[in-house]
Amino acid sequence: MDAFNNFLTGTVTLFSDPMGVLIFFSGVIGGMLFGAIPGVSMLTLAAILLPFTAHLSPEHGIMLFSVIYCTGVYGGAITAILFNIPGAPENAPTAFDGYPMTLKGQAGKAVGAAVMCSAIGGTVSCIIMMLATAPIANWAISAFGPPEIFALVFFGLAVASSVGARTFWKGWLSILAGLLIAVVGLDPVGGIERFDFEMPYLLAGIHFIPTILGFFAVSEIFAQAEKKARGSFIAPKMSVDFPSLAELLAHKWAVIRSIVIGFFCGILPGIGATLAAFMGYNEAVRWSKTPWEFGKGKLEGVISSETANNAATGAAMIPLLALGLPGGALTAMMVGVFQMHDMEPGPLVFINSADLVWVVFSAMFFANISILFIGYIETKTIINLLRIPFQYLAPMILLLATVGAYAVRGLTIDILVMFLAGVIGFFLRRSGYSVAGIVLGLILGKIGEQTFAQAMQMLHFEWSGFLDRPIALGLLIAGLVALLGSIYGAFFKKKRIQPPMA
Amino acid sequence: MKFKTYLAKTSVAFATMALSANIAYAACATDNLPSAQPKPDGFPARALTMIVPYGPAGGSGQVASGMAKAVSELTGISINRSHKPGGSGTVGMIAFMAMPADGYTVLEHIDDASSAHALDSSKPNPASDLIPLVTSQITFSQIYMRVGDTRFNDWDSFVKWIKAQNGRATIANVSKEGSMERVTMKFITDATGMKIQQISFDKGAPRYGALVGGQVDALFEQPGDVRTFLDAGIFKPILTILKTRPSAFADVPSLTDAGLDFDPLYRFRGFYVHKDAPADRVKWLQWAFQKGFCQPSYQKFNDSKYMNLIESYRDTAGTRELITTTIDQYREVYKTMGLKVK
Repeated sequence: MDAFNNFLTGTVTLFSDPMGVLIFFSGVIGGMLFGAIPGVSMLTLAAILLPFTAHLSPEHGIMLFSVIYCTGVYGGAITAILFNIPGAPENAPTAFDGYPMTLKGQAGKAVGAAVMCSAIGGTVSCIIMMLATAPIANWAISAFGPPEIFALVFFGLAVASSVGARTFWKGWLSILAGLLIAVVGLDPVGGIERFDFEMPYLLAGIHFIPTILGFFAVSEIFAQAEKKARGSFIAPKMSVDFPSLAELLAHKWAVIRSIVIGFFCGILPGIGATLAAFMGYNEAVRWSKTPWEFGKGKLEGVISSETANNAATGAAMIPLLALGLPGGALTAMMVGVFQMHDMEPGPLVFINSADLVWVVFSAMFFANISILFIGYIETKTIINLLRIPFQYLAPMILLLATVGAYAVRGLTIDILVMFLAGVIGFFLRRSGYSVAGIVLGLILGKIGEQTFAQAMQMLHFEWSGFLDRPIALGLLIAGLVALLGSIYGAFFKKKRIQPPMA
Repeated sequence: MKFKTYLAKTSVAFATMALSANIAYAACATDNLPSAQPKPDGFPARALTMIVPYGPAGGSGQVASGMAKAVSELTGISINRSHKPGGSGTVGMIAFMAMPADGYTVLEHIDDASSAHALDSSKPNPASDLIPLVTSQITFSQIYMRVGDTRFNDWDSFVKWIKAQNGRATIANVSKEGSMERVTMKFITDATGMKIQQISFDKGAPRYGALVGGQVDALFEQPGDVRTFLDAGIFKPILTILKTRPSAFADVPSLTDAGLDFDPLYRFRGFYVHKDAPADRVKWLQWAFQKGFCQPSYQKFNDSKYMNLIESYRDTAGTRELITTTIDQYREVYKTMGLKVK
């Protein structure tokens, strides 16, 4: 009942504030637009907006990002279905069956399914988040210290290691590359200078935002440019034709299964929507009576992937808000929004800023509902935006990305990092490595190193101290099992789902 | 023996410093400055840039924002803040030194710049490589416990409990060897004979969350940074790291009360301009920033951060003295700690 009252209060606060309403709808539409424009994603929009959130109130800034998160995950499905270009890694499995449906002239049905299932997955996830976050947060404040958070990071990396990569080994190499990049700069405990190559600006470390902009936006533009040059771009056939109620009910178990998978994956820091979508799709294949139809344009593939990745959005807010641990690139940027307002996500947010939390929860709930209505209308608009010639669209995107990269810290080196990541990402995508893995390694590497050092200090530099902390021990064992399972799979299982992008 | 000699030397220096600060201080420290200052050759003809080597959210970001607002109110000149975090302030310092020495760029920095120079003399000395405009915040530290913790309830029972743990008790602190926090904790542990494991948290919220959640046994922090928790009754100070009790913490033992005989190190934040900047422009900037300290908006900000409990103001000469004394003090301590001073 408290949760319901808080939700009502948050809703009233949100919709009685004209600026709040404006920002809410800007976020809903902006997330969908950027998610749906090939070459950019919600991450691009978020990175560009990040420095400007300093001029918004904390409620508006964090609410804007949470809304972009909900609608951006959906928006990325449109390009995955229409052009085989996932708006983000979490939309990659959507393309497995969505794009073949487009080629079969069923693009409308696939997009319609994505609209409905994204809304359902996201809304259910939001409701669970509102009911569960407060108890989890209260428990987390005493249960999760540095040893547990380090163990979570290890578990997250172990489970996510091959997501987005063509092989297990390439997945781990991608993660390790990210971890290596994370150690550039001062060490988090003693302040020792590392890997600066006598370039003092590197002491500040490699920031994940220019890295994300490079790997996702810039490399995507390079890839699109190459397609244009080769003349391999195929114009999609488009119509918005929602699936019938009967069709949706026929896939009810796929929807429920994907909600459960998506929520569980989303709750794990560092995992988030990407693993949720892959696991949702994998399980749909595994439970299907006609698994051979997947990958050839099966509606259930789109439903499973899109339900799962949106179900992860609400869940991903729990570790972010309760523990201060981002579940992915966009939630990591939310940490930046918090910090710009003299706040840190974590247990204290619920103590110090309960009003803010419920405004954000309400906004996420209504953002998911909005997907149903605005998504339908916006999808038609997106098609027209895509008529902008690539030679005009690409420079605009590059300009925005450059501004976004520089604006984070005011350092020119961040622009260089972005373009370098763009070039590297362009070649990595072709070779089956995972740019998402590198970014995850970079983000989690910084958290993991710091919490490991703190854990060792707390445990008096005795490894056996982990044995006395059941949660940390459980997570380390689970991570180890996942790792060994992946190694087993890499050696003994030949059939793997090949993602169309890294 | 060597340590005691050092204490004797520094106590004289700090007494002198405190005296000079009192002389400089009136109702508000810069009331005697003129309310307006002619612009030298039209300077500044455009907005100033303030480089802040830390993020906008922390203590430095806030003091930079507060001072920029005060100076703008006073002079009508806009100040654009450029945050360049990273490398414990090193990146911001390097970016500042690379800017033209025309007076249009000022730097905000904290005592970390002094301790960095004390440890490595190749790094800029804020007292001689820069011209201090004003020091606008000087504060002290405290040790905090969690309210409701039944294992101890004051400094004496805390020390007794820590000693009984035989080195397994923990305190949340700031990272970086040679930092003010680390050095102060060495003073305390040496003087009391207790062993306590310091856990490095470089960001405030996880550090405070560690005490709230019982992950650590105590917290080392400055009162302005944890005022929310103090006001909410979540944290309780058990030791004030000052010789005497400040009025706002009259019931908390000071160093003297606790029998700890060392001179406290302070956290201080101030504003600087390049040493090669034209003298007339420097003079105008000194007036603007020193006068800005007494602007009502800045005083209100300082009050909210417990920055009114000890004198927070130093002018250019006072800041140089503060920095020089601090550097000498750190170097002596580093030698006793066995740290390599370059």
